[in-house]
Amino acid sequence: MSASQSAVRSRAEAVKVSRTFDWLILFTLFFVVLGGYHIHYMLTGGDWDFWTDWKDRRLWVTVAPIVSITFPAAVQAVLWWRYRLPFGAVVCILGLLLGEWVNRYMNFWGWTYFPVNFCFPSNLMPGAIVLDVVLMLTNSMTITAVIGGMAYGLLFYPGNWPVIAPLHVPVEYNGMMMTLADLQGYHYVRTGTPEYIRMVEKGTLRTFGKDVAPVSAFFSAFVSILIYFLWHFFGKWFGGTSFTQSS
Amino acid sequence: MAATTESVRADAAEAPLLNKKNMILGSLLYVVFYAWVRWYEGIYGWSAGLDSFAPEFETYWMNFLYIEFVLEVSTAGILWGYIWKTRDRKVMSITPREELRRHFTHWTWLVMYAFAIYYGASYFTEQDGTWHQTIVRDTDFTPSHIIEFYLSYPIYIITGGACFLYAKTRLPTYQQGLHLQYMVAVVGPFMILPNVGLNEWGHTFWFMEELFVAPLHYGFVFFGWAALGVMGVVNTEVAAIAKLLKKDLA
Repeated sequence: MSASQSAVRSRAEAVKVSRTFDWLILFTLFFVVLGGYHIHYMLTGGDWDFWTDWKDRRLWVTVAPIVSITFPAAVQAVLWWRYRLPFGAVVCILGLLLGEWVNRYMNFWGWTYFPVNFCFPSNLMPGAIVLDVVLMLTNSMTITAVIGGMAYGLLFYPGNWPVIAPLHVPVEYNGMMMTLADLQGYHYVRTGTPEYIRMVEKGTLRTFGKDVAPVSAFFSAFVSILIYFLWHFFGKWFGGTSFTQSS
Repeated sequence: MAATTESVRADAAEAPLLNKKNMILGSLLYVVFYAWVRWYEGIYGWSAGLDSFAPEFETYWMNFLYIEFVLEVSTAGILWGYIWKTRDRKVMSITPREELRRHFTHWTWLVMYAFAIYYGASYFTEQDGTWHQTIVRDTDFTPSHIIEFYLSYPIYIITGGACFLYAKTRLPTYQQGLHLQYMVAVVGPFMILPNVGLNEWGHTFWFMEELFVAPLHYGFVFFGWAALGVMGVVNTEVAAIAKLLKKDLA
Protein backbone atom coordinates (compact mmCIF):
# COMPACT_ATOMS: atom_id res chain seq x y z
CA MET A 1 0.00 0.00 0.00
CA SER A 2 1.16 3.50 -0.71
CA ALA A 3 1.97 5.71 2.22
CA SER A 4 -0.36 8.31 0.78
CA GLN A 5 -3.24 5.87 0.43
CA SER A 6 -6.42 6.62 2.33
CA ALA A 7 -7.74 4.44 5.11
CA VAL A 8 -11.24 4.67 3.62
CA ARG A 9 -12.56 3.57 0.26
CA SER A 10 -15.04 6.28 -0.62
CA ARG A 11 -16.00 9.78 0.38
CA ALA A 12 -19.21 8.39 1.86
CA GLU A 13 -17.23 6.07 4.10
CA ALA A 14 -14.92 8.94 5.08
CA VAL A 15 -17.92 11.00 6.14
CA LYS A 16 -19.42 8.10 8.06
CA VAL A 17 -16.14 7.41 9.84
CA SER A 18 -15.73 11.08 10.69
CA ARG A 19 -19.25 11.35 12.14
CA THR A 20 -18.80 8.19 14.15
CA PHE A 21 -15.62 9.57 15.67
CA ASP A 22 -17.45 12.82 16.47
CA TRP A 23 -19.93 10.91 18.63
CA LEU A 24 -17.26 8.80 20.32
CA ILE A 25 -15.21 11.91 21.08
CA LEU A 26 -18.17 13.90 22.38
CA PHE A 27 -19.32 11.07 24.63
CA THR A 28 -15.87 10.51 26.06
CA LEU A 29 -15.08 14.19 26.49
CA PHE A 30 -18.44 14.81 28.15
CA PHE A 31 -18.14 12.06 30.74
CA VAL A 32 -14.43 12.40 31.49
CA VAL A 33 -14.79 16.17 31.95
CA LEU A 34 -17.93 15.49 34.00
CA GLY A 35 -15.94 13.25 36.33
CA GLY A 36 -13.04 15.66 36.81
CA TYR A 37 -15.30 18.70 37.12
CA HIS A 38 -17.68 17.04 39.54
CA ILE A 39 -14.97 15.86 41.94
CA HIS A 40 -13.42 19.35 41.79
CA TYR A 41 -16.70 21.12 42.42
CA MET A 42 -18.03 18.84 45.15
CA LEU A 43 -14.80 19.17 47.14
CA THR A 44 -14.34 22.92 46.74
CA GLY A 45 -17.95 24.15 46.93
CA GLY A 46 -19.95 21.01 47.52
CA ASP A 47 -21.36 21.59 50.95
CA TRP A 48 -23.01 24.82 49.83
CA ASP A 49 -24.35 22.98 46.83
CA PHE A 50 -25.65 19.91 48.67
CA TRP A 51 -28.05 21.41 51.16
CA THR A 52 -30.56 24.25 51.07
CA ASP A 53 -29.61 25.36 54.59
CA TRP A 54 -26.06 26.00 53.30
CA LYS A 55 -27.38 28.07 50.38
CA ASP A 56 -27.00 31.40 52.13
CA ARG A 57 -26.61 35.00 50.99
CA ARG A 58 -22.90 35.14 51.73
CA LEU A 59 -20.64 32.14 51.17
CA TRP A 60 -22.72 30.15 48.67
CA VAL A 61 -22.99 33.23 46.47
CA THR A 62 -19.25 33.87 46.81
CA VAL A 63 -17.81 30.38 46.54
CA ALA A 64 -19.95 28.58 43.94
CA PRO A 65 -19.15 30.81 40.89
CA ILE A 66 -15.46 31.11 41.78
CA VAL A 67 -14.87 27.37 41.97
CA SER A 68 -17.19 26.49 39.09
CA ILE A 69 -15.83 28.82 36.40
CA THR A 70 -12.65 26.74 36.28
CA PHE A 71 -13.50 23.84 33.96
CA PRO A 72 -15.68 25.95 31.62
CA ALA A 73 -12.72 28.28 31.05
CA ALA A 74 -10.37 25.35 30.42
CA VAL A 75 -12.72 23.53 28.05
CA GLN A 76 -13.51 26.73 26.15
CA ALA A 77 -9.77 27.13 25.64
CA VAL A 78 -9.81 23.94 23.56
CA LEU A 79 -13.28 23.73 22.04
CA TRP A 80 -13.34 27.34 20.84
CA TRP A 81 -9.70 28.07 20.15
CA ARG A 82 -9.10 24.80 18.28
CA TYR A 83 -12.49 23.85 16.83
CA ARG A 84 -14.61 27.00 16.95
CA LEU A 85 -17.24 25.13 18.94
CA PRO A 86 -19.07 27.76 21.02
CA PHE A 87 -20.39 25.51 23.77
CA GLY A 88 -17.44 24.73 26.04
CA ALA A 89 -18.96 26.27 29.16
CA VAL A 90 -22.47 24.93 28.58
CA VAL A 91 -21.25 21.39 27.94
CA CYS A 92 -19.27 21.49 31.20
CA ILE A 93 -22.23 22.72 33.21
CA LEU A 94 -24.57 20.21 31.55
CA GLY A 95 -22.16 17.46 32.56
CA LEU A 96 -21.86 18.73 36.10
CA LEU A 97 -25.61 19.10 36.49
CA LEU A 98 -26.22 15.62 35.09
CA GLY A 99 -23.73 14.13 37.55
CA GLU A 100 -25.26 16.09 40.41
CA TRP A 101 -28.90 15.40 39.62
CA VAL A 102 -28.30 11.67 39.16
CA ASN A 103 -26.52 11.67 42.51
CA ARG A 104 -28.98 13.75 44.43
CA TYR A 105 -31.84 11.55 43.27
CA MET A 106 -30.17 8.13 43.34
CA ASN A 107 -28.04 8.59 46.45
CA PHE A 108 -29.02 11.60 48.57
CA TRP A 109 -32.63 10.56 48.22
CA GLY A 110 -32.31 6.92 47.15
CA TRP A 111 -29.74 5.83 49.75
CA THR A 112 -29.83 8.32 52.63
CA TYR A 113 -33.42 9.52 52.21
CA PHE A 114 -33.04 13.30 52.09
CA PRO A 115 -35.87 14.83 50.06
CA VAL A 116 -34.78 16.31 46.74
CA ASN A 117 -36.12 19.75 47.67
CA PHE A 118 -33.50 19.79 50.44
CA CYS A 119 -30.51 18.68 48.36
CA PHE A 120 -31.02 19.87 44.77
CA PRO A 121 -27.95 21.33 43.01
CA SER A 122 -27.34 24.99 42.24
CA ASN A 123 -28.26 26.31 38.81
CA LEU A 124 -25.10 27.37 36.97
CA MET A 125 -26.58 27.48 33.48
CA PRO A 126 -27.30 31.23 33.01
CA GLY A 127 -23.68 32.18 33.62
CA ALA A 128 -22.45 29.40 31.32
CA ILE A 129 -24.67 30.55 28.46
CA VAL A 130 -23.43 34.11 28.84
CA LEU A 131 -19.82 32.92 28.99
CA ASP A 132 -20.21 31.02 25.71
CA VAL A 133 -22.14 33.79 23.98
CA VAL A 134 -19.59 36.45 24.94
CA LEU A 135 -16.76 34.28 23.63
CA MET A 136 -18.62 33.53 20.41
CA LEU A 137 -19.51 37.17 19.74
CA THR A 138 -16.18 38.71 20.68
CA ASN A 139 -13.69 35.94 19.85
CA SER A 140 -11.61 37.46 22.63
CA MET A 141 -10.30 35.64 25.67
CA THR A 142 -9.74 38.92 27.50
CA ILE A 143 -13.28 40.21 26.95
CA THR A 144 -14.71 36.80 27.82
CA ALA A 145 -12.73 36.76 31.04
CA VAL A 146 -13.68 40.30 32.05
CA ILE A 147 -17.27 40.58 30.80
CA GLY A 148 -18.18 36.90 30.74
CA GLY A 149 -16.41 36.13 34.01
CA MET A 150 -18.07 39.05 35.72
CA ALA A 151 -21.48 38.07 34.35
CA TYR A 152 -20.86 34.50 35.49
CA GLY A 153 -20.39 35.68 39.07
CA LEU A 154 -23.16 38.24 39.05
CA LEU A 155 -25.79 36.01 37.45
CA PHE A 156 -25.41 33.16 39.91
CA TYR A 157 -27.69 34.50 42.63
CA PRO A 158 -30.45 35.82 40.35
CA GLY A 159 -30.25 32.55 38.41
CA ASN A 160 -30.97 30.63 41.59
CA TRP A 161 -33.35 33.10 43.14
CA PRO A 162 -36.62 31.62 41.82
CA VAL A 163 -35.66 28.26 43.32
CA ILE A 164 -34.23 29.35 46.64
CA ALA A 165 -36.52 32.31 47.47
CA PRO A 166 -39.38 30.20 48.85
CA LEU A 167 -36.90 28.54 51.22
CA HIS A 168 -35.54 31.86 52.47
CA VAL A 169 -38.82 33.10 53.88
CA PRO A 170 -38.64 33.61 57.64
CA VAL A 171 -40.38 31.23 60.01
CA GLU A 172 -40.74 31.23 63.77
CA TYR A 173 -40.03 27.89 65.40
CA ASN A 174 -39.95 27.25 69.16
CA GLY A 175 -39.48 30.96 69.78
CA MET A 176 -36.59 31.31 67.30
CA MET A 177 -36.66 32.99 63.92
CA MET A 178 -35.00 31.18 61.08
CA THR A 179 -35.47 30.47 57.40
CA LEU A 180 -37.47 27.61 56.02
CA ALA A 181 -34.17 26.18 54.73
CA ASP A 182 -32.74 26.26 58.27
CA LEU A 183 -35.81 24.41 59.44
CA GLN A 184 -35.24 21.71 56.82
CA GLY A 185 -31.75 21.29 58.23
CA TYR A 186 -33.06 20.89 61.77
CA HIS A 187 -35.56 18.25 60.74
CA TYR A 188 -33.34 16.24 58.41
CA VAL A 189 -30.43 15.57 60.75
CA ARG A 190 -27.03 14.90 59.20
CA THR A 191 -25.29 13.15 62.07
CA GLY A 192 -21.87 13.30 60.44
CA THR A 193 -22.14 17.03 59.77
CA PRO A 194 -22.88 18.79 63.04
CA GLU A 195 -24.34 22.28 63.09
CA TYR A 196 -21.06 23.85 64.25
CA ILE A 197 -19.36 23.21 60.93
CA ARG A 198 -22.12 24.80 58.86
CA MET A 199 -20.60 27.91 57.26
CA VAL A 200 -23.38 30.36 56.51
CA GLU A 201 -24.01 34.08 57.00
CA LYS A 202 -20.58 34.57 58.58
CA GLY A 203 -18.80 37.88 59.06
CA THR A 204 -19.67 41.47 59.76
CA LEU A 205 -21.09 42.25 56.34
CA ARG A 206 -24.44 41.05 57.61
CA THR A 207 -24.83 44.39 59.35
CA PHE A 208 -25.32 45.80 55.86
CA GLY A 209 -28.63 43.94 55.84
CA LYS A 210 -30.07 43.61 52.38
CA ASP A 211 -26.78 44.31 50.62
CA VAL A 212 -25.09 41.03 51.57
CA ALA A 213 -26.02 39.05 48.45
CA PRO A 214 -25.17 41.72 45.83
CA VAL A 215 -21.86 42.57 47.51
CA SER A 216 -20.97 38.88 47.71
CA ALA A 217 -21.94 38.41 44.07
CA PHE A 218 -19.80 41.36 43.04
CA PHE A 219 -16.79 40.01 44.92
CA SER A 220 -17.41 36.60 43.40
CA ALA A 221 -17.55 38.20 39.94
CA PHE A 222 -14.18 39.88 40.53
CA VAL A 223 -12.48 36.63 41.53
CA SER A 224 -14.24 34.74 38.72
CA ILE A 225 -12.50 37.04 36.23
CA LEU A 226 -9.10 36.18 37.65
CA ILE A 227 -9.89 32.47 37.82
CA TYR A 228 -11.05 32.52 34.19
CA PHE A 229 -7.68 33.86 33.05
CA LEU A 230 -5.82 31.27 35.05
CA TRP A 231 -7.90 28.32 33.89
CA HIS A 232 -7.86 29.42 30.27
CA PHE A 233 -4.11 28.81 30.33
CA PHE A 234 -4.56 25.57 32.26
CA GLY A 235 -6.93 24.47 29.49
CA LYS A 236 -4.42 25.39 26.80
CA TRP A 237 -1.80 23.25 28.52
CA PHE A 238 -4.13 20.30 29.04
CA GLY A 239 -5.09 20.48 25.36
CA GLY A 240 -1.45 20.19 24.31
CA THR A 241 -0.15 17.30 22.24
CA SER A 242 3.43 17.12 23.40
CA PHE A 243 5.48 13.98 23.77
CA THR A 244 8.30 13.27 26.13
CA GLN A 245 11.47 12.28 24.31
CA SER A 246 11.70 8.63 23.38
CA SER A 247 14.84 7.03 24.78
CA MET B 1 -10.29 -10.28 -12.81
CA ALA B 2 -9.61 -13.14 -10.50
CA ALA B 3 -7.48 -10.89 -8.34
CA THR B 4 -10.29 -8.32 -8.21
CA THR B 5 -12.82 -10.93 -7.14
CA GLU B 6 -10.46 -12.17 -4.47
CA SER B 7 -9.93 -8.63 -3.24
CA VAL B 8 -13.68 -7.97 -2.99
CA ARG B 9 -14.18 -11.20 -1.08
CA ALA B 10 -11.38 -10.31 1.27
CA ASP B 11 -12.96 -6.89 1.87
CA ALA B 12 -16.33 -8.45 2.59
CA ALA B 13 -14.79 -10.81 5.07
CA GLU B 14 -12.56 -8.33 6.87
CA ALA B 15 -13.32 -7.12 10.37
CA PRO B 16 -15.49 -4.00 10.63
CA LEU B 17 -13.77 -0.70 11.38
CA LEU B 18 -15.77 -0.28 14.56
CA ASN B 19 -16.72 -3.42 16.42
CA LYS B 20 -20.12 -2.30 17.72
CA LYS B 21 -20.65 -5.56 19.55
CA ASN B 22 -17.59 -4.93 21.71
CA MET B 23 -18.70 -1.36 22.34
CA ILE B 24 -22.19 -2.40 23.47
CA LEU B 25 -20.97 -5.34 25.56
CA GLY B 26 -18.31 -3.21 27.21
CA SER B 27 -20.78 -0.45 28.04
CA LEU B 28 -23.27 -2.96 29.42
CA LEU B 29 -20.54 -4.50 31.54
CA TYR B 30 -19.98 -1.22 33.39
CA VAL B 31 -23.63 -0.17 33.61
CA VAL B 32 -25.01 -3.54 34.74
CA PHE B 33 -22.14 -4.20 37.15
CA TYR B 34 -22.50 -0.80 38.82
CA ALA B 35 -26.29 -1.18 38.97
CA TRP B 36 -25.70 -4.39 40.91
CA VAL B 37 -23.17 -2.65 43.16
CA ARG B 38 -25.67 0.12 43.88
CA TRP B 39 -28.31 -2.48 44.70
CA TYR B 40 -25.87 -4.20 47.07
CA GLU B 41 -25.15 -0.87 48.81
CA GLY B 42 -28.85 -0.19 49.18
CA ILE B 43 -29.50 -3.54 50.79
CA TYR B 44 -26.41 -4.07 52.95
CA GLY B 45 -25.36 -0.47 53.65
CA TRP B 46 -28.05 0.08 56.24
CA SER B 47 -28.56 -3.50 57.38
CA ALA B 48 -24.88 -4.46 57.84
CA GLY B 49 -22.75 -1.37 57.27
CA LEU B 50 -23.32 0.90 60.28
CA ASP B 51 -21.07 -0.73 62.88
CA SER B 52 -17.69 -1.99 61.75
CA PHE B 53 -17.33 -4.09 64.93
CA ALA B 54 -20.44 -6.13 64.16
CA PRO B 55 -20.00 -9.64 62.72
CA GLU B 56 -22.32 -8.88 59.81
CA PHE B 57 -20.03 -6.03 58.79
CA GLU B 58 -17.21 -8.55 58.38
CA THR B 59 -19.50 -10.84 56.40
CA TYR B 60 -21.00 -8.37 53.98
CA TRP B 61 -18.41 -5.58 53.73
CA MET B 62 -14.93 -6.73 54.70
CA ASN B 63 -15.30 -9.89 52.64
CA PHE B 64 -16.49 -7.74 49.76
CA LEU B 65 -13.30 -5.68 50.18
CA TYR B 66 -10.99 -8.71 50.24
CA ILE B 67 -12.64 -10.21 47.17
CA GLU B 68 -12.43 -6.99 45.18
CA PHE B 69 -8.73 -6.56 46.06
CA VAL B 70 -7.96 -9.99 44.65
CA LEU B 71 -10.09 -9.51 41.55
CA GLU B 72 -8.65 -6.06 40.81
CA VAL B 73 -5.03 -7.13 41.08
CA SER B 74 -5.76 -10.20 38.93
CA THR B 75 -7.68 -8.20 36.33
CA ALA B 76 -5.00 -5.53 36.07
CA GLY B 77 -2.26 -8.12 35.77
CA ILE B 78 -4.06 -10.21 33.17
CA LEU B 79 -5.43 -7.32 31.10
CA TRP B 80 -2.35 -5.13 31.06
CA GLY B 81 -0.13 -8.20 30.63
CA TYR B 82 -2.21 -9.38 27.68
CA ILE B 83 -2.13 -6.00 25.96
CA TRP B 84 1.61 -5.74 26.43
CA LYS B 85 2.35 -9.35 25.54
CA THR B 86 0.36 -9.18 22.29
CA ARG B 87 1.85 -5.83 21.26
CA ASP B 88 2.56 -5.16 17.62
CA ARG B 89 6.32 -5.13 17.12
CA LYS B 90 5.97 -3.74 13.60
CA VAL B 91 3.48 -1.06 14.45
CA MET B 92 4.97 1.49 12.06
CA SER B 93 4.34 -0.68 9.02
CA ILE B 94 0.60 -1.33 9.34
CA THR B 95 -1.76 -0.28 6.55
CA PRO B 96 -3.75 2.96 6.89
CA ARG B 97 -6.99 0.97 7.11
CA GLU B 98 -5.65 -1.18 9.90
CA GLU B 99 -4.50 1.98 11.65
CA LEU B 100 -7.98 3.43 11.36
CA ARG B 101 -9.47 0.20 12.73
CA ARG B 102 -7.13 0.41 15.71
CA HIS B 103 -8.12 4.01 16.33
CA PHE B 104 -11.72 2.81 16.57
CA THR B 105 -10.67 0.11 19.03
CA HIS B 106 -8.73 2.73 20.96
CA TRP B 107 -11.86 4.86 21.14
CA THR B 108 -13.84 1.88 22.35
CA TRP B 109 -11.40 1.73 25.24
CA LEU B 110 -11.69 5.48 25.80
CA VAL B 111 -15.49 5.25 25.93
CA MET B 112 -15.08 2.60 28.62
CA TYR B 113 -12.72 4.98 30.43
CA ALA B 114 -15.47 7.63 30.26
CA PHE B 115 -17.90 5.23 31.95
CA ALA B 116 -15.30 4.29 34.55
CA ILE B 117 -14.36 7.89 35.35
CA TYR B 118 -18.01 8.91 35.59
CA TYR B 119 -18.85 6.20 38.09
CA GLY B 120 -15.66 6.68 40.10
CA ALA B 121 -15.18 10.44 40.23
CA SER B 122 -18.81 11.55 40.01
CA TYR B 123 -21.31 8.91 41.06
CA PHE B 124 -19.59 7.11 43.91
CA THR B 125 -17.57 10.09 45.17
CA GLU B 126 -20.53 12.38 45.79
CA GLN B 127 -22.43 9.40 47.11
CA ASP B 128 -19.68 9.05 49.72
CA GLY B 129 -20.49 12.61 50.79
CA THR B 130 -24.09 11.92 51.63
CA TRP B 131 -23.21 8.64 53.38
CA HIS B 132 -20.62 10.24 55.66
CA GLN B 133 -22.65 13.33 56.32
CA THR B 134 -25.40 11.01 57.50
CA ILE B 135 -23.55 8.13 59.18
CA VAL B 136 -20.75 8.68 61.69
CA ARG B 137 -17.68 6.75 60.55
CA ASP B 138 -15.97 4.27 62.87
CA THR B 139 -13.55 2.74 60.36
CA ASP B 140 -11.56 3.67 57.27
CA PHE B 141 -13.32 0.89 55.43
CA THR B 142 -16.87 2.19 55.45
CA PRO B 143 -19.39 0.76 52.97
CA SER B 144 -19.14 3.82 50.75
CA HIS B 145 -15.31 3.72 50.84
CA ILE B 146 -15.23 0.02 50.00
CA ILE B 147 -17.14 0.85 46.84
CA GLU B 148 -15.71 4.27 46.02
CA PHE B 149 -12.02 4.09 46.87
CA TYR B 150 -11.36 0.39 46.56
CA LEU B 151 -13.68 -0.61 43.71
CA SER B 152 -14.60 2.28 41.42
CA TYR B 153 -11.17 3.97 41.55
CA PRO B 154 -9.19 0.80 40.76
CA ILE B 155 -11.62 0.08 37.93
CA TYR B 156 -10.96 3.42 36.25
CA ILE B 157 -7.23 2.99 36.87
CA ILE B 158 -7.32 -0.42 35.19
CA THR B 159 -9.39 0.95 32.30
CA GLY B 160 -7.21 4.05 31.88
CA GLY B 161 -4.06 1.96 31.97
CA ALA B 162 -5.53 -0.32 29.30
CA CYS B 163 -6.33 2.70 27.06
CA PHE B 164 -2.82 4.06 27.38
CA LEU B 165 -1.17 0.69 26.84
CA TYR B 166 -3.33 -0.04 23.81
CA ALA B 167 -2.41 3.29 22.24
CA LYS B 168 1.27 2.85 23.02
CA THR B 169 1.52 -0.72 21.73
CA ARG B 170 -0.67 -0.57 18.64
CA LEU B 171 -0.95 2.94 17.21
CA PRO B 172 1.81 4.63 15.18
CA THR B 173 0.60 8.01 16.49
CA TYR B 174 1.99 7.27 19.94
CA GLN B 175 5.36 5.81 18.98
CA GLN B 176 7.43 9.01 19.12
CA GLY B 177 7.65 8.98 22.92
CA LEU B 178 5.23 9.19 25.81
CA HIS B 179 2.24 11.44 25.23
CA LEU B 180 2.40 13.90 28.10
CA GLN B 181 -1.29 14.85 28.34
CA TYR B 182 -2.34 11.22 27.92
CA MET B 183 -0.10 10.28 30.83
CA VAL B 184 -1.59 13.12 32.87
CA ALA B 185 -5.13 11.95 32.02
CA VAL B 186 -4.33 8.43 33.20
CA VAL B 187 -1.75 8.91 35.95
CA GLY B 188 -3.45 11.95 37.55
CA PRO B 189 -6.72 10.17 38.34
CA PHE B 190 -4.61 7.17 39.38
CA MET B 191 -2.94 9.38 41.99
CA ILE B 192 -6.32 9.91 43.62
CA LEU B 193 -6.03 6.37 44.97
CA PRO B 194 -2.70 6.90 46.83
CA ASN B 195 -4.16 10.19 48.06
CA VAL B 196 -6.71 8.08 49.95
CA GLY B 197 -3.81 7.43 52.35
CA LEU B 198 -3.67 11.12 53.24
CA ASN B 199 -7.44 11.27 53.47
CA GLU B 200 -7.74 8.35 55.86
CA TRP B 201 -4.77 9.50 57.93
CA GLY B 202 -6.36 12.92 58.30
CA HIS B 203 -9.78 11.57 59.17
CA THR B 204 -8.36 9.29 61.85
CA PHE B 205 -6.08 12.02 63.20
CA TRP B 206 -8.22 15.10 63.60
CA PHE B 207 -11.33 15.18 61.53
CA MET B 208 -14.19 12.82 62.25
CA GLU B 209 -16.96 14.95 60.86
CA GLU B 210 -17.70 15.26 57.20
CA LEU B 211 -17.02 18.64 55.66
CA PHE B 212 -16.61 18.00 51.97
CA VAL B 213 -14.83 21.29 51.24
CA ALA B 214 -12.21 20.64 53.95
CA PRO B 215 -8.58 21.24 52.85
CA LEU B 216 -7.92 17.60 53.71
CA HIS B 217 -9.77 16.72 50.49
CA TYR B 218 -7.88 19.07 48.16
CA GLY B 219 -5.52 16.32 47.03
CA PHE B 220 -8.49 14.71 45.29
CA VAL B 221 -9.28 18.03 43.65
CA PHE B 222 -5.76 18.53 42.34
CA PHE B 223 -5.59 15.08 40.80
CA GLY B 224 -9.14 15.41 39.47
CA TRP B 225 -7.94 18.30 37.31
CA ALA B 226 -5.77 15.81 35.48
CA ALA B 227 -8.89 14.43 33.79
CA LEU B 228 -8.65 17.50 31.55
CA GLY B 229 -5.67 15.81 29.92
CA VAL B 230 -8.28 13.99 27.84
CA MET B 231 -8.46 17.19 25.77
CA GLY B 232 -4.86 16.64 24.69
CA VAL B 233 -5.74 13.06 23.74
CA VAL B 234 -8.71 14.31 21.71
CA ASN B 235 -6.54 16.86 19.90
CA THR B 236 -3.93 14.23 19.06
CA GLU B 237 -6.57 11.78 17.88
CA VAL B 238 -8.39 14.35 15.74
CA ALA B 239 -5.13 15.25 13.99
CA ALA B 240 -4.22 11.58 13.44
CA ILE B 241 -7.65 10.57 12.17
CA ALA B 242 -7.92 13.62 9.91
CA LYS B 243 -4.56 12.72 8.42
CA LEU B 244 -5.73 9.18 7.75
CA LEU B 245 -8.98 10.29 6.14
CA LYS B 246 -7.46 13.02 4.03
CA LYS B 247 -5.05 10.80 2.18
CA ASP B 248 -5.86 10.01 -1.46
CA LEU B 249 -8.77 7.63 -1.80
CA ALA B 250 -7.72 4.17 -2.98
